[in-house]
Amino acid sequence: MPSSPVPERWSRRAQVSLGTLVEVALPAAAATEPRFAAAFAAIAHVHRKMSPHHPRSDLARIARGAHRRAVRVDPETYAVLELAKTLAAETGGAFDVTVAPVLSRQGLLPARAAGRGARSGQMQALRLERGLRVGADVPLALDLGGIAKGHAVDRAIAALRAAGAPSGLVNAGGDLAVFGSENWMPIRVRHPGNPAVLLWLFDVKDAGVATSADYFREGHSALVGRNRRLRPFPGSITVIAPTCMLADALTKVVALQPARARALLARYRAHAFQLDAGEDGLGARTTCMASTAHLRLLPALAA
Amino acid sequence: MHDGWRVLPIAALVLAPAAVYATEYLSVEAAQRAAFPEATAFVPVPLNLDAEARARLAEVAHPPGAHDPRVWRAMAGGKLLGTFYADAVIGKQEYIGYSLALDAAGHVLRVDILDYRETHGWEIRNASWRAQFTGKSATDPVEVGRDIANISGATLSCHHVTDGVRRLLALNALLPRP
Repeated sequence: MPSSPVPERWSRRAQVSLGTLVEVALPAAAATEPRFAAAFAAIAHVHRKMSPHHPRSDLARIARGAHRRAVRVDPETYAVLELAKTLAAETGGAFDVTVAPVLSRQGLLPARAAGRGARSGQMQALRLERGLRVGADVPLALDLGGIAKGHAVDRAIAALRAAGAPSGLVNAGGDLAVFGSENWMPIRVRHPGNPAVLLWLFDVKDAGVATSADYFREGHSALVGRNRRLRPFPGSITVIAPTCMLADALTKVVALQPARARALLARYRAHAFQLDAGEDGLGARTTCMASTAHLRLLPALAA
Repeated sequence: MHDGWRVLPIAALVLAPAAVYATEYLSVEAAQRAAFPEATAFVPVPLNLDAEARARLAEVAHPPGAHDPRVWRAMAGGKLLGTFYADAVIGKQEYIGYSLALDAAGHVLRVDILDYRETHGWEIRNASWRAQFTGKSATDPVEVGRDIANISGATLSCHHVTDGVRRLLALNALLPRP
């Protein structure tokens, strides 16, 4: 049986960013205002650069002109696009961040995020060039909703480390990462049939965790399937990975291609849980066969 | 199993249904100190909003807050540092207490979440659903406000907080200059 969940006292702060509640936790003895401020500043930076709502964001600049002349973007935007491009290649285009026009039509993004003349399914038209420049063969409207939140969490964790925090946790609306703690951190996942109920499946150490579900009807860009319609998604998918950005992105890969996901999860040293709320109760599957250095299953599940 | 997925024992999953999520992040006093570390005093400002002022506020942001916010002037000796608001927004399923700190010129210094509860409206509606857990051993009960749950999965929308901040900024413009 995993040991008691709160062996050390944590001090927590929360702010609204990335369109959600962002929580930063530090051990009480290490909880200083400059450390909290550094973490929230890292989150705010990602929000400014990668928000589809922000007219001066990198995404807005790419939509306005990358098809005419390559646009120099923030190193972080570039890094996120690199992973998006890799995952698109590895999933035959299923992981697609060129879906903003579809999300806009569905009312999940404002009309101006649709981009002029942009279409989805255009990952091959996205060019990552030298000097942090992003070009496009056709007009592109990007949405990084399926990956940038995880990246923001990773950057906030890096900021906490740089500010000298010995351990900490960052949770951006359910995408979270934890580092440095000697103790296992228990993580709850919402019951997909009743999000008020929290299930305890596993503990983590130095890992990122993300869950995709639409219990609160949030837009999940990469869940737009091949037919460019939003797929109904009754369950939830949780991924544990070395970074939160990977965990965030891989939840969408699992949702879109469950049969092919396992090989990809193994390559990225990630594990997935899929919960489904059916009429006969809760169904659950996992790719995780054993506990690892960063993941410990509840004994009942590990048996 | 052909694709490498393993079916989990479902009974094991519902061993530990936790209580609904609630966290207190900052007391009003701690939020004041965080926003204005150099302040020597926080002087309460009584809010006497007349019907006209309330109507003007209602035009700015809907829905209006549950009750009037609390307001303080942050002072360092005789010098005004800024204004501090403590307020709450209540959605269908959530209650979010938050604070807004403005500098002396009325620009936003910071917005902090003071406390967050998801219980609102859920507990009663889910009473029968939750009854199915009666008799199960809760190996790790999360007591509201004490233990802390790290939840993976979407949080409720926070757009009410944005609305609340907009309303407070409008209110700030109505307050008499100190």
